[in-house]
Amino acid sequence: MLDRWLKVRRSRAKIIVLCFVVSVIVLHGTFNPVNPGYSADENQNHQSDAHSKRVESRRLLEEAQNDAAQGDNNDNKNYAEFDIAKILIDEEEGEKEKPDPNKPYSLGPKISDWDQQRSEWLKTNPDFPNFIGPNKPRVLLVTGSSPKPCENPVGDHYLLKSIKNKIDYCRLHGIEIFYNMALLDAEMAGFWAKLPLIRKLLLSHPEIEFLWWMDSDAMFTDMAYELPWERYKDFNMVMHGWNEMVYNDKNWIGLNTGSFLLRNCQWSLDLLDAWAPMGPKGKVREEAGKILTRELKDRPVFEADDQSAIVYLLVKERAKWGEKVYLENAYYLHGYWGILVDRYEEMIENYHPGLGDHRWPLVTHFVGCKPCGKFGDYSVERCLRQMDRAFNFGDNQILQMYGFTHKSLASRRVKRVRNETGNPLEVKDEFGLLHPSFKAVKVSASS
Amino acid sequence: MGQDSFTPQKRSSTCGGGGLPTTNNAAAGGGRSRVLAGMPRGRQIHKTFNNIKITILCGFVTILVLRGTIGVGNLGSSEADAVNQNLIEETSRILAEIRSDSDPTDPDEPPETEINPNTTYTLGPKISDWDQQRKVWLSENPEFPNFVNGKARILLVTGSPPNPCDNAIGDHYLLKAIKNKIDYCRLHGVEIVYNMAHLDKELAGYWAKLPLIRRLMLSHPEVEWIWWMDSDAFFTDMVFEIPLSKYDKYNLVVHGYPDLMFEQKSWIALNTGSFLFRNCQWSLDLLDAWAPMGPKGSIREEAGKVLTANLKGRPAFEADDQSALIYLLLSQKEMWMDKVFLENQYYLHGYWAGLVDRYEEMMEKYHPGLGDERWPFVTHFVGCKPCGSYGDYPVERCLRSMQRAFNFADNQVLKLYGFRHRGLLGPNIKRIRNETVTPLEIIDELDIRRSTHEKTETRS
Repeated sequence: MLDRWLKVRRSRAKIIVLCFVVSVIVLHGTFNPVNPGYSADENQNHQSDAHSKRVESRRLLEEAQNDAAQGDNNDNKNYAEFDIAKILIDEEEGEKEKPDPNKPYSLGPKISDWDQQRSEWLKTNPDFPNFIGPNKPRVLLVTGSSPKPCENPVGDHYLLKSIKNKIDYCRLHGIEIFYNMALLDAEMAGFWAKLPLIRKLLLSHPEIEFLWWMDSDAMFTDMAYELPWERYKDFNMVMHGWNEMVYNDKNWIGLNTGSFLLRNCQWSLDLLDAWAPMGPKGKVREEAGKILTRELKDRPVFEADDQSAIVYLLVKERAKWGEKVYLENAYYLHGYWGILVDRYEEMIENYHPGLGDHRWPLVTHFVGCKPCGKFGDYSVERCLRQMDRAFNFGDNQILQMYGFTHKSLASRRVKRVRNETGNPLEVKDEFGLLHPSFKAVKVSASS
Repeated sequence: MGQDSFTPQKRSSTCGGGGLPTTNNAAAGGGRSRVLAGMPRGRQIHKTFNNIKITILCGFVTILVLRGTIGVGNLGSSEADAVNQNLIEETSRILAEIRSDSDPTDPDEPPETEINPNTTYTLGPKISDWDQQRKVWLSENPEFPNFVNGKARILLVTGSPPNPCDNAIGDHYLLKAIKNKIDYCRLHGVEIVYNMAHLDKELAGYWAKLPLIRRLMLSHPEVEWIWWMDSDAFFTDMVFEIPLSKYDKYNLVVHGYPDLMFEQKSWIALNTGSFLFRNCQWSLDLLDAWAPMGPKGSIREEAGKVLTANLKGRPAFEADDQSALIYLLLSQKEMWMDKVFLENQYYLHGYWAGLVDRYEEMMEKYHPGLGDERWPFVTHFVGCKPCGSYGDYPVERCLRSMQRAFNFADNQVLKLYGFRHRGLLGPNIKRIRNETVTPLEIIDELDIRRSTHEKTETRS
């Protein structure tokens, strides 16, 4: 009897051990691959980190397959089979400057007399004035994208269209462009990269009066609208937003840093210094993100972004910064695409360029679309199709100068709307964009 | 004991098989029949239930393990993979649609017919007094002068097709090329027009620049020079400025070699990838004389044959603008050549193959501003065709070289800001000058714009 009892117990024990082992194996299989659970958010960096592993392994796999299939690849003349990752590698590695974790981050050595340095420079360089017309400051439009190809195969094409769109607007309005493809500070990667870049450009170009940052996913849709520069003569920073939403509601989208103006002055340098501390990637950015989510209304959980950080800064230190910040909403210095793109035909029928506002938006900004990355917050089809429409809407205003227009807002093809004549100079284009007043050169008495 | 030597896997497979584990019964003390026979009924049922419980448990565990191994089923974390897959498919589908030439908005458009080869193609109604019209306009519009700060107004014209390239890498290098041109033009006060529209469907492809140049000349009388530049040409000397005063008596400046042109009649005697056209009557006349070989279809094919027959080294293909210009200048030499400058003192167009490998040597021995073989002004990637599917050269060589040219030029731009690329291939940069509290002390030396401005001042 005892024997049997023991045998039963032993078999039970074996079963228990067996099941335990099997459970361990199953759990090991479930928990070890990194759970790619992400939340739909605006954090491009976060997503790219999460997916870079997958992309990387896919690339390696493809490379391995390619190598196996083709032996020596060097004579390949077919672009489809080529993997650019083979080329974009740094030859000089090493001496990566590791930041001191104990030192707080700073954009650069503190400058306190920038206004004076700059005004002296302007006096000794009268050929590079900061105003190119009576009410027209010298403006530098700054935008940029990654030096590596987009993850999405059409991303680079839309970046190309976007920069063409900016080139057109800036040519008409006498604005210079700086297209950045360099990461100046590895600590401030992602959307924070604009801060060290802006500071560097302000200090290197004292002749610039205003720096206009514009995201790569924002397009000009009103080619005739000139910014009301006199309105901002007492302000140093202009962003699209609403005072109530920022100061009363503390809403994280109370303003938008996708398109804003910053004056080249000491105040701006100080603002950049106060803005930067939430930016350094890693623990600082993560912790700051938590603070921002807690303090600002409706903000989702993700690492600190520059927009939320400036809302927080303005709310907390309103007395210090508020009076020099203009939150503009009389026209679309930034126009959220979702409420604009379906109305283009209605705008064409009822209004005309030069208004800049809801009737004919200056800027249509494709927030959340992220055509360069693999994952956006909206459907790929809607985003790309609408970007095409916005591009054509803006491009039509350029083409009409030369007598053409797109066949429709969805079409790449153009058709003639004005015949060639033997007296081309008598023909005026509909909106006067060929020789607009805001491009006129100051006629000096001495020349 | 025999029963103890089994492995868990084997155990689970026997579980999955659904059969009762024989070892369990064996451990329990013998075959089933023996167990059942020697026990009271209640205990039999109890035993059966136990066995069923164990079977179900093992079955469940097996399913879990199988799911983990083969990825069977749609549970938990595989959802992200499914989303991933969907997105990739959707993007590919949209991409295919975008790339296709079909225009869904024009179902009623009649099929395009070839133009009648008997009627001569024209770019537009003939204008005979353009110099006069322009002069009047300039005098009436002093706020749009053709000379700004002592320099003639130049308009750089470039472009690419409106649809995405056959491969994503093509668009990426178009983007880098336009950034490169934006940088040069900002430093030298040149305006840019980036064209993405086919203004004349007869003159598509490389011929598209002709109607475009004509249109821009007539719309912008304030522009003194129109500078056409191919999308596959990169500026590699950011300091060099075109010596326009050299061309006071000329209306067309193109990189070329007189001996190749007049003695050998070579089809590559000059290069139309980068050339300057003065905005004047002569240029309009030249464009009118140049255009007839362009209209696509039988005209272009036939013209191609004529060109291959007359120009040395030309392969057989349809007429291209470069061969047509050479043929025109050769056959009507007296009419045109006195106003054409074949420039070869600097690389207004620099064929890439002989230049890109020497960048390191150049950085070591020379400096920007020379524009010639020591530091080429323009590096032109003829034949690479990164926007298409196939080039004339190996892809790796082309892309590697284009990246090197880009970085080589970018280094000259970044120098003002205290950075340079780590190498000529990679995207990363490194600091070469520390930040200071007096940034303006160094700016004057380094800003290219100021040094070229001084040169203009001393000249005028």
